[in-house]
Amino acid sequence: MAEVELRGIVKEYGAVRVVHGVDLTIEDGTFCVFVGPSGCGKSTLLRMIAGLEDISGGDLLIGGERVNDQRAAERGLAMVFQTYALYPHMSVRQNLAFGLENIRMPKSEIAARVDEAARMLKLEPYLDRKPRALSGGQRQRVAIGRAVVREPKVFLFDEPLSNLDAELRVSMRGEIAALHRRVGNTMIYVTHDQVEAMTMADKIVVLRDGRIEQAGAPIDLYNRPVNTFVAGFIGSPRMNFLPCKVTGHDADGLTLQDAQGRPLRAAVDGRTVGEGDTVELGIRPEHMHPDPEGYPVQVENVEQLGGESYLYVRTETGVALTAHLSGQTGLARGGRAFLAIRPEFAHVFRKDGTALPRLRLGELEGDTRT
Amino acid sequence: MAAIVRALYEGAFNLFEKPMQMLQYSLGAHRMAWVFLLPNLLIFGLFTYLPILLNVWYAGTSGDRILLGERDWTGAANFATLLDCGSYLDPNTCRRDLFWRAVHNTGWFVVLQVGFMILLSLIAALILNRNIPLKGFFRAVFFYPVLLSPVVVALIWKWILQRNGVLNAGLDWAGMPTVNWLLDPSWAFFWIVFVSIWANMGFYVLILLAGLQSIPSDVYEAAEMDGTPAWRSLLRITLPLLTPTLLVVMVLSLIRAVQAFDEIYVLTGGGPGSATTLLIQYIYDVGFATRPRQFGLAAAASLLMAGVLLVLTLLQLAATRKRAEDG
Amino acid sequence: MRKTLAVSALALMAAGATQAQELRFMCYQDGAECDAWAEAFQSFEAENPGTTVVVDVVPYQAIIESLPIQLEVGEGPDLARITDYGGLARFLLDVRPMVSDPDLIEARYGPSLAWARVGDNAPDGIYNIVDQLTATGGFANATLFEQAGVEMPGPGASWADWAEASRAVRDATGVDFAMAIDRTGHRFAAPAMSFGAALFNDEGEALVIDDGFRSFSEQFVAWHEDGTLARDVWAGAGGGTYQDAAGEFINANLVMYYSGSWQIGRFGRDIGDAFDWVATGAVCGPAACTGMPGGAGIVGLNRTEHPEAVAKLMEFVARDDIQAQVLAQTRNLPANAELQANGIAYQDVTPEVAAALTAFAASVPDFSDTAYALQGYQFNRAVYTNIPARLTQAIVGELSLDDALARLEQDVADAIAEAR
Repeated sequence: MAEVELRGIVKEYGAVRVVHGVDLTIEDGTFCVFVGPSGCGKSTLLRMIAGLEDISGGDLLIGGERVNDQRAAERGLAMVFQTYALYPHMSVRQNLAFGLENIRMPKSEIAARVDEAARMLKLEPYLDRKPRALSGGQRQRVAIGRAVVREPKVFLFDEPLSNLDAELRVSMRGEIAALHRRVGNTMIYVTHDQVEAMTMADKIVVLRDGRIEQAGAPIDLYNRPVNTFVAGFIGSPRMNFLPCKVTGHDADGLTLQDAQGRPLRAAVDGRTVGEGDTVELGIRPEHMHPDPEGYPVQVENVEQLGGESYLYVRTETGVALTAHLSGQTGLARGGRAFLAIRPEFAHVFRKDGTALPRLRLGELEGDTRT
Repeated sequence: MAAIVRALYEGAFNLFEKPMQMLQYSLGAHRMAWVFLLPNLLIFGLFTYLPILLNVWYAGTSGDRILLGERDWTGAANFATLLDCGSYLDPNTCRRDLFWRAVHNTGWFVVLQVGFMILLSLIAALILNRNIPLKGFFRAVFFYPVLLSPVVVALIWKWILQRNGVLNAGLDWAGMPTVNWLLDPSWAFFWIVFVSIWANMGFYVLILLAGLQSIPSDVYEAAEMDGTPAWRSLLRITLPLLTPTLLVVMVLSLIRAVQAFDEIYVLTGGGPGSATTLLIQYIYDVGFATRPRQFGLAAAASLLMAGVLLVLTLLQLAATRKRAEDG
Repeated sequence: MRKTLAVSALALMAAGATQAQELRFMCYQDGAECDAWAEAFQSFEAENPGTTVVVDVVPYQAIIESLPIQLEVGEGPDLARITDYGGLARFLLDVRPMVSDPDLIEARYGPSLAWARVGDNAPDGIYNIVDQLTATGGFANATLFEQAGVEMPGPGASWADWAEASRAVRDATGVDFAMAIDRTGHRFAAPAMSFGAALFNDEGEALVIDDGFRSFSEQFVAWHEDGTLARDVWAGAGGGTYQDAAGEFINANLVMYYSGSWQIGRFGRDIGDAFDWVATGAVCGPAACTGMPGGAGIVGLNRTEHPEAVAKLMEFVARDDIQAQVLAQTRNLPANAELQANGIAYQDVTPEVAAALTAFAASVPDFSDTAYALQGYQFNRAVYTNIPARLTQAIVGELSLDDALARLEQDVADAIAEAR
């Protein structure tokens, strides 16, 4: 068990810098998820922690000890790969035992650990099979088992579920979460899927272009994204953005005006913006709902899923918005609709993309329809 | 330009479409397959199967005439002559001692050449598979001899190994005693093994490199995370995963070693004495070089060799199939 | 107009069909033999209007490998220039019944005519006209002898004399090799006969391993062991492969070289005035002083459709004046007895070449009957190719000499049995 600390971690390939001085502390026992679009450096960061990539600059501490120059195996980590990376010529049992044989563990103890991991991961019937005789989910469980038997200080997962189908992904998600609860180790998990991040993480680290955009608890990231990137990345469907002008502010928030001069309110701290500044108002699809007093839009498409509905609309100024409604709706394609944009749900971002602090959180105020 | 080519190409197809349709209509789709197979069957029949049949026939005849009608049918007499031995381990007890010397030489040659070539190719491939400087250059160096004609290879080495050759000049310059490399039976045998490894290993290095590169890198990363020492990674991961490729390489090189002839014939002429005479050369000597030509005996010897090659080829097919299944 | 042309063309062709004969002559040359014959055939064509001779110049390899196969399957030229009379005996045309003066040809070419009278061929048939008599014999590097201060063995010197003198020269001058003998049974046979080998049994079949053959074989192996003979030549190859040492001689790296008269032209050209060399003629053994005769000659082939024309051409080829004219250009030894007696006025030759030609020509009459018999023996190739294969095994120690000789005898017997 250990805390993982990154201090100014840099990765360079020749003259190209792909990770720009990352500082991050992952507390002991935390399930930490690195999330971001492809090419954001999340896998590179994980592989540097694992020891599979050299660290070009900065310090990596595990359990308070600087491990930059230690080989992967010496760092006391175990990794689960996206492609499982099982030894194809070995049986499941041999796959699980291989790493333990490397450290010359007594045979009886290896057997005990393998059996325990197999029981925990329900692999007992497959112990003598080769990986090619297993399904994707079973292979992934073997890969996890291989990490488990080594009883590492930290587990590393590199997009472990992306090769599985959707249904299996959900159940494996549960298994990994259960594993974390049971062993309680620090886990670092890389994914590009924000749903995985939201559902599993104690702490999410959003990365873009080799930099941390925001790190924190999932719900904090949802509620208080620090910029448009995090706001757009966390939450599904994406947050809607509406270009506005500041027309004034008071203790309750900002007064805004869209391109057609229609007034809007946002419960944010507007002291750092001035009248006439261009800003973007952000509103999550699930926070917009029909309201006769609301903002007028043209309905371009409706998706009825029975328990929920999606509205794809366009404002009079031509901005595309999405609304996520619970239940069913009578609105039809081509019709006109009015959607409420309530101040306590509104986010406001400056021209440089950074967010203004929210004064009220509608999410915490109970029913959104009052 | 492209349009013209395209028009011609399509025109050619249209030209064939009608007659082919009519042919298919009259023959049925099933028999149509034979129409497409026919050209190949004819070529194979004429240049492969017919000569094999003729070879079998020749093996059952004696005399120095070429026309089969003028040859005497002797049945298995040629095989009996070849196989007439007091002990197969001592060629001197055999009626055709030179045949058995050639068999023994070929056996040793195959074992040594294939054994060392696979070992050296594997080492070379393992080194070339790492990130060493000038990797491309060294790959080219290993592969280059494969592009040379066997005769050129032999002449290059003859130039190096002959009495006044480069090697002896070097030894002389270094104050070491010179050796007449190709006139001493043991040295001559060493050199034909060496030269044929030199000439052929690039090909196998290439196959092994491909095999090494087809091993997913994440398996090595997993091994790295498992704290696997390098030697154990080689023994427990690289070699097992390379086994199908190694098997293919082994059988291919076995077949080629049994068939070895050209570079050795040019380098040593099978000498000194019969020290480097391999099977193919024996067949060539008996059938064509010495007079009168003993076609029947040569044909019989080549059939015996074909039997060995058939076994090796079946092994290769089995190995390839296994590789396909594992892959 | 067009019609008349066509008709006259037809008429011409019809006339040609009855008269014009084209003879195809497959020819190989060591030097300029085919060119010289092509020139000579112009006078033949002038003398015999309607007959044309087409000379196809091919490599020797084609004569050895392609021609026999063509003949076996009933194809091939009307005439050819060959050396293996025994092997091709059954394809040769007997021109005796068609020539005007067979007795003259018999008188001029008697010994070499016998070479083709083998197998089922007529014992008095005329099958071949030899235009390049060859004789085996030695060459010595006179300059090396001079430098070493060793006296060169004279005419009638023995193999032992030459071995001793050559070793002395080699040791004094530091060249690599004392003696070398071409790697073929044809060259080996001459000293073997000089040591008393009979080669043939009473029925006229080779190969008999007698005391004479054995004693030269022992000497031969011993000379390889003590370095008198260049090991590279015989041990440098396997099987019956032919190998010579002319290169070493030309490079002045070899004191005494036993080869044959066909090397004269090459030595004259390649050695130039780099050093002085002489032909030693035949070298003597305890029993005789014989070399091996041999030679290329022109033969008619019995598959021809124009046997009369072939016979006419053969008679032309045999004529004293034509032989003298051609051989003067090709600088070959004559098989024609008249020319042997009177000599040939060779064109543009150096004194060394002229002396060598004379020396070889002078040695021929002394060649033993066995030598002629072997040259005329139908299965002589079996002897020539198996001797190097087996003797080399004894030289490199693969077989004891006794075993090697026993194997040799068996190999030749097997090969002859196969061919019968």
